[in-house]
Amino acid sequence: MSITHRTALTGCLVGLVVVAVAPFVLDTYLTNILIRTLFLAAVVMTVDILWGYVGILTFGQSAFFGIGAYACGLVFTHYGFGPGWALAALALALGAAAIVAAGTGWLAFFHGASPLYASIITLALPIVLTQLIFSGGNWTGSSSGLSGFPTYYWDLEVWFWLAGVFLVLTTTGGWLLVRSDFGRVLVAIRENEERCAYLGIPVSRIKIMLMILSAMIASVAGFGYAAFSNVVAPELAGFQLGTELLIWTALGGRATLLGPVIAAIGIDTMSSWLSGAMPFLWKLLTGIAFVVVIVLLPRGFAPLVGALWRKLRPRHAVAAPVVKLTLAPVKLMMQSNESASPPLRIEHLSRRYGSLHVLRDVNLVGNATELLGIIGPNGAGKTTLMRCISDGNERTDGKIHVNGVEIGRGSPQHVVGLGVGRSFQNTNLFDTLTVGECLKLARYRLDGARLFDRGDTVALPQPAMDILQATGLDQKLGEETRNLSHGMKRGLELAMVLAAEPSVLLLDEPTAGLTRPERMVIGKVLTRLTREFGLCIVIIEHDLDFVREISNRVVVLHQGAILMEGTVDEVVASDLVKAVYAGHTEKKAA
Amino acid sequence: MGVLTLDILTTAAILFAVAAGLMIILGVMKLINFAHGAFLTTGGYVAYLTGAAGISPWLSIPLAGVLGMAAGLVIERVIVRPLYARPLDAILATWGLGIVIGQVITLTFGRGVQFAPSPLSGTTALFGVDYSAYRLAVALIAVLIAGALSALLSFTRFGLNARAVIMNETLARGLGIDSAKVRAITFGMGAGLACAAGALITPLLSVDPNMGLPWLVNSFMLVMISGVSFPSLLIASIVLGGAQVLVSTYVSPILGGMTIVALAALVLRFNPRGFSRA
Repeated sequence: MSITHRTALTGCLVGLVVVAVAPFVLDTYLTNILIRTLFLAAVVMTVDILWGYVGILTFGQSAFFGIGAYACGLVFTHYGFGPGWALAALALALGAAAIVAAGTGWLAFFHGASPLYASIITLALPIVLTQLIFSGGNWTGSSSGLSGFPTYYWDLEVWFWLAGVFLVLTTTGGWLLVRSDFGRVLVAIRENEERCAYLGIPVSRIKIMLMILSAMIASVAGFGYAAFSNVVAPELAGFQLGTELLIWTALGGRATLLGPVIAAIGIDTMSSWLSGAMPFLWKLLTGIAFVVVIVLLPRGFAPLVGALWRKLRPRHAVAAPVVKLTLAPVKLMMQSNESASPPLRIEHLSRRYGSLHVLRDVNLVGNATELLGIIGPNGAGKTTLMRCISDGNERTDGKIHVNGVEIGRGSPQHVVGLGVGRSFQNTNLFDTLTVGECLKLARYRLDGARLFDRGDTVALPQPAMDILQATGLDQKLGEETRNLSHGMKRGLELAMVLAAEPSVLLLDEPTAGLTRPERMVIGKVLTRLTREFGLCIVIIEHDLDFVREISNRVVVLHQGAILMEGTVDEVVASDLVKAVYAGHTEKKAA
Repeated sequence: MGVLTLDILTTAAILFAVAAGLMIILGVMKLINFAHGAFLTTGGYVAYLTGAAGISPWLSIPLAGVLGMAAGLVIERVIVRPLYARPLDAILATWGLGIVIGQVITLTFGRGVQFAPSPLSGTTALFGVDYSAYRLAVALIAVLIAGALSALLSFTRFGLNARAVIMNETLARGLGIDSAKVRAITFGMGAGLACAAGALITPLLSVDPNMGLPWLVNSFMLVMISGVSFPSLLIASIVLGGAQVLVSTYVSPILGGMTIVALAALVLRFNPRGFSRA
């Protein structure tokens, strides 16, 4: 059993004991308040996963709470009551929440959607839902809601235990999820969604799945609350509650999971006490606290408490579990050798921005075992060419075939699935992830990720191993990537792209800013990749000497069109190319 | 038919006036001002107060504008400026600010609904129908605002600087444009416009501490769908506002209330650029 699992089990047991004992210690009034609060705390936990870990700022989690509550209220009021009906209502709550969440996710998450847009969709959701409830007439009880429907009049303790156990179990599950390998994928999506897409991670699908899962948890919480309180009202689904959930998350400390849960319990209980005495003043104070925390303490109060804890109890430094590298069986890379169609075929590709033609009628074939250099002055459309190959939505016209399959209008992760790997001009890695975690991330498309656990090995293909060894990264697997040198970041970037086992490799200035020896290392690996592993590599490079050393064929791009094609020496000797480059030669060496 | 057309046109004009302040801030600062709704509400209460004090209702609009601008400058300095690098946090902070403003208003005026006097009462005969004179005046004022804003952006030094910051802030700073000042003035103007719009629409409706919220969501949708351009905001207001009027008239007013949100969300799903290229 791993440390993570042991901690989770301990925390879970402690939580259950506290829940079991609490009703005997607390007075009736407080128990009553806390039942509602515990249900809401479970919803806050899901808000923290969505916002804190994945970066989806959601205003709409209350809608799912409301859906669960209304499923209970509507079934018990209009259709019937009993164990069977209760189960049916619960199933309805889960199903309706899942469907609405799937629809919302489909609207809010697609490649290229801005996070602002997703936020506003989640804000619109509770508003639309409340309007629907208002227009429901007698069936939904309109603005006054439904009350007095039959329910189980169990003792307060029983309800408290139900709510508490639900909170402890869901939070334990959430805690394990965010600490698993899959949790690292979530953090990576928050830090750099674009990069994740180009690693072949189905970002939108993951977000939608999470949305559905957290909606179902919120819905069960709402169901439980309605069954306990015997009242449902439009406010339960309203945006006001949705923003309160956000405020509790922010105050408790986003991406700490326990912080928001504790904040929710603390603040909601306090509100119930104080709002009787000074209803508006209390809300004003929480509002002010919220603004102050967002501006001055973006991570909420939890890190402060954490720091204090560490100061009081200097803990024996637990070394971060370091992953071991193993060799992955070669599968995709060699196949491209045998297939009949060339790995990359571009036909009549053009890209326009309004009236500006960045690429016009580019025809190009990349063969297996070939290293194709793309050169050209700045603004020739080299990077745009890369972008068009790796994202089906980029090009204006033309066709691109990868391993014989037309990419159509596929998203980057779709194109990656066809066998394209792309490295970027600037090193944009995931700052807070370690080298080992980055490599796991790059293998997500092929190996998946464990949902509630951490794997301690990551299997890499030989070329990725070579790069890691050559750059010394294999000794730094536990290091966070922001602490790496520029050369190492470049090396890691390349290793990540190779880890995904592409058959077509797109490299945008992979050696920019590197020293001569570092370039030699990378050059050697690239040559080996084509010769031994049969890759087709397309490389943008300004250093002609470097290109001469590694490349068999060079394409000169000028003003969006192919100017000439040939060996490096032919190209260098060409008067046409000299004319294009005249006066540009000393420009942009790196 | 005549009434319906006038309804659509005046609704569009109102939507435009309400959304303009949000768009200016989004355009220059790349920031969604979620306190926009609270600014609208504040403007509404300015109209209510001027009415209660017996000052001419016409004055309430410029008064609200000036007050909003002053408040905007202060808020920009204290809350918004530290959050330039964190746009999603800026949403939250301005949202929290909205809560604070809302609670201060509730504490001062209570939760109830208040009314502001209308500067123009009665109806005007237009295209053979009698139509609310003030709604027509509001439409006219909205058109004037649109013209003034376009002129400001096209013909003044500030407009040139603002456009430079919109296109490429780093480069603009390199050219010696004080982008912090441009941002501050922009936020002030956006807040001022929002307050003025609140004062403008209050005589048509009523004012309560939460009046701004539905407007915030609708404005946001209009701005998202129109990109940063006044002509496309005008088109979006007419198309979506028109749809809202049609749904409210022929289907149900409650569904009409969500028409803009639902339509805009769908349009953006299939064409993330919205109307900005139209």
